[in-house]
Amino acid sequence: MNPSGSMGVLEQTEEERLSTPNLEPSVYSDNPQERIQARRLRIAARLEARRREALGEYIDGKKESEEDQSKSYKQKEESRLKLSKLLLCGTELVTNIQVAADIREIHRRVEEEEIKRQRIEKLENEVKNSQDKFDEITTKWEEGKQKHIPQDLWEILNTQQLHCAGLIEDKNKLINELQQELKVKDDQYVKDLKKQSDDICLLLERMEEQVKDIMKSFRQELSHIEKAFELERQELLTSNKKKWERALQNHNSKELEYLINRIKKVEDYEKQLNKQRIWDCEEYNMIKIKLEQDVQILEQQLQQMKATYQLNQEKLEYNFQVLKKRDEESTVIKSQQKRKINRLHDVLNNLRSKYAKQVKQFQEENHSLTSEYKRLVLQFKELQRAMRHFAIIDDEKFREIWLMNEEEAKGLIDRAFDVDRIIHIQHLGLPWTAPDFWFLKNVGPISQQQQKTATQIVEEVLKQADEEGLEEGASESSYLDLPKQISAKTTRKILMLLCDESGFLIESKLLSLLLPLEKNECYLLRLDAIFSALGIESEDDLYKLVKFFLEYRAHHLSASQISPWTQANLERSSLMEKSLMSEWDLEQEQEAESLLEGEEESSVGGEQEEEEAPPSPKLIHPNEVLKVLEAFVMGLRKPRNFRAPVRMTKSKRDNSKDSEYWKALATVIPSSTQNLWDALYTALEKYHLVLTQRAKLLTENNSLEQQNSELQLLLQQYLHSKINSELQIPPTHVFRVPTK
Amino acid sequence: MQGALTPPILSGPSQSAVSNQGLMPTASQASNIAPQPSKTFSSSGPLAAKTKPTPVRRMRRIIAEDPEWSLAIVPLLTELCIQHIVKNFQKNPILKQLLPEHQKKVLSHLSPDLPLAVTANLIEDENYWRRCCTQRWPVCHVAKHGGSWKHMFFERHLENLLKHFIPGTTDPSVILDLLPLCANYVRRIRVDQFLPPVQLPASLQTRELSDSGSEVESEEPTMDHYQLGDLVAGLKHLEELDLVYGVKDCGMNFEWNLFLFTYRDCHSLAATIKACHTLKIFRLTRSKVDDEKARILIRSLLNHPGLEELDLSHNLIGDRGARAAAKLLSHSHLRVLNLANNQVRGPGAQSLAHALAHNTNLVSLNLRLNCLEDEGGQALAHALQTNKCLTTLNLGGNELSEPTATLLAQVLAINTTLTSLNLSCNHIGLDGGKQLLEGMSENKTLLEFDLRLSDISQESEYLIGQALHANREAARQRALNPGYLMSPIIANVPGNSVE
Repeated sequence: MNPSGSMGVLEQTEEERLSTPNLEPSVYSDNPQERIQARRLRIAARLEARRREALGEYIDGKKESEEDQSKSYKQKEESRLKLSKLLLCGTELVTNIQVAADIREIHRRVEEEEIKRQRIEKLENEVKNSQDKFDEITTKWEEGKQKHIPQDLWEILNTQQLHCAGLIEDKNKLINELQQELKVKDDQYVKDLKKQSDDICLLLERMEEQVKDIMKSFRQELSHIEKAFELERQELLTSNKKKWERALQNHNSKELEYLINRIKKVEDYEKQLNKQRIWDCEEYNMIKIKLEQDVQILEQQLQQMKATYQLNQEKLEYNFQVLKKRDEESTVIKSQQKRKINRLHDVLNNLRSKYAKQVKQFQEENHSLTSEYKRLVLQFKELQRAMRHFAIIDDEKFREIWLMNEEEAKGLIDRAFDVDRIIHIQHLGLPWTAPDFWFLKNVGPISQQQQKTATQIVEEVLKQADEEGLEEGASESSYLDLPKQISAKTTRKILMLLCDESGFLIESKLLSLLLPLEKNECYLLRLDAIFSALGIESEDDLYKLVKFFLEYRAHHLSASQISPWTQANLERSSLMEKSLMSEWDLEQEQEAESLLEGEEESSVGGEQEEEEAPPSPKLIHPNEVLKVLEAFVMGLRKPRNFRAPVRMTKSKRDNSKDSEYWKALATVIPSSTQNLWDALYTALEKYHLVLTQRAKLLTENNSLEQQNSELQLLLQQYLHSKINSELQIPPTHVFRVPTK
Repeated sequence: MQGALTPPILSGPSQSAVSNQGLMPTASQASNIAPQPSKTFSSSGPLAAKTKPTPVRRMRRIIAEDPEWSLAIVPLLTELCIQHIVKNFQKNPILKQLLPEHQKKVLSHLSPDLPLAVTANLIEDENYWRRCCTQRWPVCHVAKHGGSWKHMFFERHLENLLKHFIPGTTDPSVILDLLPLCANYVRRIRVDQFLPPVQLPASLQTRELSDSGSEVESEEPTMDHYQLGDLVAGLKHLEELDLVYGVKDCGMNFEWNLFLFTYRDCHSLAATIKACHTLKIFRLTRSKVDDEKARILIRSLLNHPGLEELDLSHNLIGDRGARAAAKLLSHSHLRVLNLANNQVRGPGAQSLAHALAHNTNLVSLNLRLNCLEDEGGQALAHALQTNKCLTTLNLGGNELSEPTATLLAQVLAINTTLTSLNLSCNHIGLDGGKQLLEGMSENKTLLEFDLRLSDISQESEYLIGQALHANREAARQRALNPGYLMSPIIANVPGNSVE
């Protein structure tokens, strides 16, 4: 395809070839061989074309089986085949020149060889001939040397010269011949050159023609292919257009439908929109009004705020001014104060010296006063002892008086009840029941009704515990006044624990006495001793102790906190302790006495049992019992201080109860009965009046009778006078008399 | 550079300003353009900078009234610099330091006449070398030079120098000076003439007159041509050497000794090609290489590491040379061997055939226009029965006849590698043609089979042509199918056309 390249090659090959005289290498002309070749080629091309057509069809058929071949593909294939054939033929045509040159060259070589051989033969012959002649001449020279006659010699020389000339002539002839040949060859060479240039011209011509042809055919084929493609495209276009139109129609109809639907929808939406708009408008207006109102309110508020702000500002300004002034004042005052401080320092110094004096003075005074105080305390103790003594006496007196009065009152009450009963039964005819009042049964002063002592309770507890021990699961409700949260068991356990741990509080004498006692009693006594040592007297104290134990358990972990508290308590109470020691001692003594009494009472017998009450780890650790006790005692001491005055108040309260009691006694006959009695009295008085009147009348009537029977009556009256003295005015007698 | 540039630029505006001062004495405006040049000038010196601003303003005012004036007239400083660089490129070549766009500008303005010493190793730009080439030669086939204009320029330049080198008169340094410049760019040397050393002009004339005298002269060693040794040793990338020891366009001055390839030439060339390990293609054509010289050359090529193509066509190589070539076949990686238009006869062909029988490198063998005759043809045909490599064989114009044809027909039936076979200009005859047709009918690979002017019948030629066409179509399908490419209309057809 590359014309330049092939041209170059051909040029080269043609150029260097030593061309031989030969026929014209043109396809269309003179050279028959060439013409034959050309014709052959043409036929071959035609056949080829036919064959190719068949082949193309075959290929086409094959292709068609693969895919439904289009016209364009067919055209393309066709064109390709045509063009390849054209190219092949063209190149063959072009290279024909080379081939022709080759064969000419071969022919030339053959001829040349032949000519060369002939020439060599000829030359060899010539050489032989000339050699013979030369030999002849040389032999003649020998003959000539033998000649002595000049004429002979001259003759021989002449003949020799002739021979030589002949030889030279031969040689020259040969040379001429060869030169002739050379000249012919030169001419031939020139011709060949010309021929070669002609060949090259032809070659160029053919190549150009070939290029042109190929270009033309390529263009043609291209146009064919383009046409085929165009046609196909047209077909495709028309078919696609049809499809497109159909689709468009469909589309249009659908579009129309959609449009109608859409219009409907739009209308609907418009309506909805209108509604919505109206609604929105209303809402908007409402909101607007509301917001405007809000705005107004806010503005008002703003104004108010502004006003207040201004006010505040003014106030603040005023305050600021005031503060400034005050500041000024304060500076003045400060200076004054400083001066004052200076002055006061002086004063202070004075005072200090004074104070020192005073201290001395007061110490002295204090000494004197303490001594006096001690004296007074002694006096006070004595006084107290006296007072207690008197109090006991007073109590006894009080009791006696109480009993006396009570007896009197009760006698009166009995009389009143009798009267009431008589009135009821005799006058009113009603059944009478004797009223049952508590105070009626009461004997002695109410204030004497004392709280149970701690020992009593312990006893109870122990008893109950025993019972419980007998019958397991017995109800605890029977357990009287103990706080609900504390069960008898726990109490008991605590008490046992206490008993076991605080044995040191019991005197050794007592312990030895306790040995033969029963278990429970032993405990009781021990506890009693312990309580007395601890100062637990009443029921409350006991409960407090139990509670304290429980609480302590609750604060088990914070025991360390309790200890400092107790210490503080200790310190605090150390002062009071001193003062109260005496009283304390007294009480203890008393309790000890009572204990001794109890001891004597309870030393009836019993055997001591080994105590193996398992200290419940849940409750409290035995080691800590002492700590608890210590804390408790410290805590208990405080309220103990006020014990004496409390008692005093209690006796006073008894008085109020007493008055009630007495009042109750006085009003044993209720007012209703009194009223009844009053009414009855008036009625009876009236009745009495009537009766008296009647009696007068009767007396008048019966004066005689009376007088008659006066002596009799008087006797009788004297008989009955003792009873009359007992019952002052027994009405029955009155009634009986007339009946008699 | 800048210092050199600034004075002319400064003088321009200041002069104009001076000339305009008289016309427009008042200056009010200050434009954006005016300060810019003043800034650039300020680098030249504080004095200039101080004097500048006012004249510049005035000048600018005048310009506004001059309708023909435009800013375009004032070239940018870079532009001026580039111009200057271009002007002084020979003395002070600055290229690599410039920005790419400026490099481009400089290159586009450089003159192609610059000395190669400056440009050779500095400029890589193809466009510059393209201009150089097109200026020197009207026809340029850049594709033949590896697609590089620079390579083309240097190769052709070197070829030109070699062509016109006259030993003895031309200074050899002309070529050797060029060597460091072109060493990196020359891959191919293609010289189609080597001038012989020139005698005194008088003697030349006398020789022209007498043919015999010239023949006597030719024996002298002074007829040696240029020795390529130094040059080739310096070319690191040389791959192709294409030489013709002869004179072109001698016209009526023809002398035999103009076309003389002396033994010294031969020995030096042999040493040269032996030393050149990068060589791939070696061509020595039309140089009257006879057996001896061929043997010298081929001996030097034995075991050459890179040689692929050897072309000794249009020489005088006989059987001994052919035997040497056969030896070379088995001692190198030669792929193409061209011995066209030589004097190889039967024995030479036999030795070649012997080497060919077990060769696995040779792809193409050209023995056109030799005298192998049936003796050599048969030997070659036997060799082809075992060879599995050769694809192209040219036996055109070798006086072959029927016996060779019968053997070749057998080969055709067996061989599956041969694609191109040329038997044109032989005396194969009608029977031979028929036998070839038989062999061809069983062959599926041969694409070209030239049987022109070989005395075979038209019928068999036509049928062979058909078979060839079928083979071609099959080959085309084979080529197409793997890639699934739609048929390019001219698949292999143009390639087939050669020879």
